[in-house]
Amino acid sequence: MKYNYDKKLLKSLGVGAFLGQVKLREKKIAEAPDTMPQSVFNANVLAKKLHPGAQYAVITAVADHGDAKSFTLAPDAEKGTEQLAYFRAGQYVSVALDIGEAKLNKPYTIRSCPKLALNGGYILTIKRSAGGFASDYILDNWQVGTKVKLSGPLGEFYHQELRDAKHVVALAGGSGITPFCSMAAAIADGTEDFRLTILYGSRTKDAILLGEELSAIEAAAGGKVKVVHVLSDEEAEGCEKGFITAELVQKYAGEGDYSVYVCGPKPMYAFLKQELGKLGLKSRRIRWEVGGEYGDPSKDAAYPADAAGKTFALTVIIRGEEFKTTCRADQTLLDACERAGIRAPSHCRSGECGWCHSRLVSGEIYVPAEGDGRRIADKKFGWVHPCRTYPLGDVTLEVPVL
Amino acid sequence: MQEAKRYDVVVVGAGNGGLSAAAYLAKAGKKVLVLEKHNLPGGCATSFVRGAFEFEATLHEMCQMGRGVDGEPRGAVRELLDGYGLDVDWVPVPEAFCAVATDPEKGFNVEMPLGVEAFIDEMERQVPGSREPMTNVMEMARMLADGVAWLGERHNHPNPLQKVEMLIKYHDLMKLVPQSVETVLDLLGMPEKAKNIYESYWTYISSHSGNMSFAVYAFMTYVYLTQKPWIARNRSHEIGLAFDKRIRELGGDIWYNCEVKKIDVKDGAVRGVELAGGKYIPCERVISNLMPHVVFDRMVDPAEVPEYNRRCMNAQKIAQACVTVYIGLDATAQELGLKGYDTFMREDPNNRNQYASSNAIETHKDITVTVLTNAIPDAVGEGRACMQFSKFYIDDPFADVTEEEYFRIKDKIARECIERYEAVTGCDLQSHIEEIVVASPVTWARYLGTPRGDVYGYEPHTWDGMFPRVQSGTADLGYTIKGLRFAGGHGTQMDGYSQAYMSGAEQARYTLHDMKEGK
Repeated sequence: MKYNYDKKLLKSLGVGAFLGQVKLREKKIAEAPDTMPQSVFNANVLAKKLHPGAQYAVITAVADHGDAKSFTLAPDAEKGTEQLAYFRAGQYVSVALDIGEAKLNKPYTIRSCPKLALNGGYILTIKRSAGGFASDYILDNWQVGTKVKLSGPLGEFYHQELRDAKHVVALAGGSGITPFCSMAAAIADGTEDFRLTILYGSRTKDAILLGEELSAIEAAAGGKVKVVHVLSDEEAEGCEKGFITAELVQKYAGEGDYSVYVCGPKPMYAFLKQELGKLGLKSRRIRWEVGGEYGDPSKDAAYPADAAGKTFALTVIIRGEEFKTTCRADQTLLDACERAGIRAPSHCRSGECGWCHSRLVSGEIYVPAEGDGRRIADKKFGWVHPCRTYPLGDVTLEVPVL
Repeated sequence: MQEAKRYDVVVVGAGNGGLSAAAYLAKAGKKVLVLEKHNLPGGCATSFVRGAFEFEATLHEMCQMGRGVDGEPRGAVRELLDGYGLDVDWVPVPEAFCAVATDPEKGFNVEMPLGVEAFIDEMERQVPGSREPMTNVMEMARMLADGVAWLGERHNHPNPLQKVEMLIKYHDLMKLVPQSVETVLDLLGMPEKAKNIYESYWTYISSHSGNMSFAVYAFMTYVYLTQKPWIARNRSHEIGLAFDKRIRELGGDIWYNCEVKKIDVKDGAVRGVELAGGKYIPCERVISNLMPHVVFDRMVDPAEVPEYNRRCMNAQKIAQACVTVYIGLDATAQELGLKGYDTFMREDPNNRNQYASSNAIETHKDITVTVLTNAIPDAVGEGRACMQFSKFYIDDPFADVTEEEYFRIKDKIARECIERYEAVTGCDLQSHIEEIVVASPVTWARYLGTPRGDVYGYEPHTWDGMFPRVQSGTADLGYTIKGLRFAGGHGTQMDGYSQAYMSGAEQARYTLHDMKEGK
């Protein structure tokens, strides 16, 4: 016999069951109830609540902080949003904006605590930045009653108890304080359970953004939150003078294990990369919030010399239709699409989240090593994150516009 | 105005089944449009980047992927995917599986090798007296593998003359198909411990061995042992993008971020699909990569849902949902002492008990551990390792979870997995976690849209396993709406990557037949 198993063992079995299988299956089906079965369960409901594709909100209050404003956002039930999504303290939402011809999305951290989402909404604190196309527009135009469209909560900048130390030393600059406001408030109300020491860099005491709000949270957090102001341009009582340095981090970190979180403007990142290097921390103990726009890449060592200053043709394919525009060498493909009135998908604008994932049909491109969040296979098959991709020649890009 | 392209077939969902169906149809010269609600292809077949790590989302191992060289048989799935012309760098996994049961009396801790002889030898070493029954199992499996191949060559539907041939040649296959794994192993006199070890793979098939067809299980295990398990070097995202490329090269179109809201059915026939945003695409044929539950409950006019499908969905059981903990570590697998690629780490050695306890967060203690860097050492760069824990849940353990508790519950399950793994192996993970992501049934519900976050379609039973489904899935049975067919892990071929690819090809073939016959 070809197969060396003991045939006798199967003697008790017949082939009848096999021959009757289809009939048996039909019988089982015929006996089942003729009702529409449930397809939506709690997991499906939670998925929608926690990860809505879009959220609609209306501004109910605006607080002016000089060169920044805080906007209180409530759900816009008229547009179908009953509640703004719960989130992890430190996460952001991306906001859809129409500015002149341009259509774009900008990420802003939710400054308020997660609990507020369940009985109120979000607070976004947005600072005017030099040449900030979106922040200028928002500060000049958003007012009570303005309706806004948001993404669901996003981002990986939050405390993960299995990964991070129980003590976090947060290094903040300018509006980079916003995720730490949310974390601090979440600690104060018992949502989060870790110790947070915030070293907060500002130019002067008067220039501190959300200083009073932070003091109130600090007072309510039962010793778990400590805020240290670090002023670069003046001496003030109870404040550190200078920049946030390795020495300062060490001073406030104290004894024991700690994680460092960083959120602030670009120059601060460059400075802190040097400083934190001196502390000999493991890489898992330092977490950087994504840096946002990369800016002009022509100063990068890896950038090809001959492309700078040029403007290229950009062809955008959307569901089989072609659109023509141009893209400057110092402009991301995403930015060029947006300025041409194409609402290309995007959230983080830092190369990380992958939401702008698009197919490079043809053309030479430059992607800075920093913030290159592409997957290995993306590189193999020519897919890019347009928010971190610059043209080096004429480019054709297929964009999955929603 | 430019006239809209007319598509022969619209494929709804670019998951494994949908992509396979689209590639098959495009290769056959049909005009195909794939519509995917996410911004990526693949469905479950995807990856994500966190810091220095690119994590595999779901692929543990693919079956029937033998190359047909060096004494390794050629697998039907390899044949299919090569036939599509996919540019994927496939990598074999170095061992069959590791299995641990921590029960102090009936437990075990074994590393089962590839190759039939080696597997039988190791089993005999672990369980003296298992050689004879295990040899019988493997020889039966060899016969079953030949039978499955014979049937595959006849597209699983032998004509009357071939049926007579089958009755002679594969008499014993016919005997074994309707029997459960449990029944046959008992019949062969398999010692309890050898049974427990042999049945380790059950979580990948979503049914315990009292409900699982012996023929299917024995076949699958045998193919793993003889053809090796395979994965994609660049995570399963590589497979998705390879499909995307080929489908386009073959003249097909794929639109991402393009959710189908409605499949327009009138008088029992498909007329078109409607997208979120209102765009309408007329078409007479749709292959749905989405589960019947989703299509019939949410996407088809209720008056057009056939009674047969309502009853069928009620007769079947929604399969498992999943928690997956992805961990990126700042040391190598060797430095950390992580052993094996795939380890089934359980408390109770008996899989009926494992199955029963997997219905609640509190009682489900078992984990499947996959250490990617033990199959692809350079997968996440130098000096690092990545691994994942998977837990498959029956029923609805997330039924009462609120949004406020959600993140904490996920982290609690993740902590249990990590601490359990550390306790069993003596490895220190907690001092080395650089990145960690926890996916839950909510996550799968978000990305797949399936009821409860089901990842395995419908649970197989002996009455509703692969053979009865395939036999039923011919031109008439289950084909109730003209122009609407279903492909994917919920299909006739059951769950898993390999099966979903087979399912896509099968449904594409049926669709070509439908088109020819005007059915």
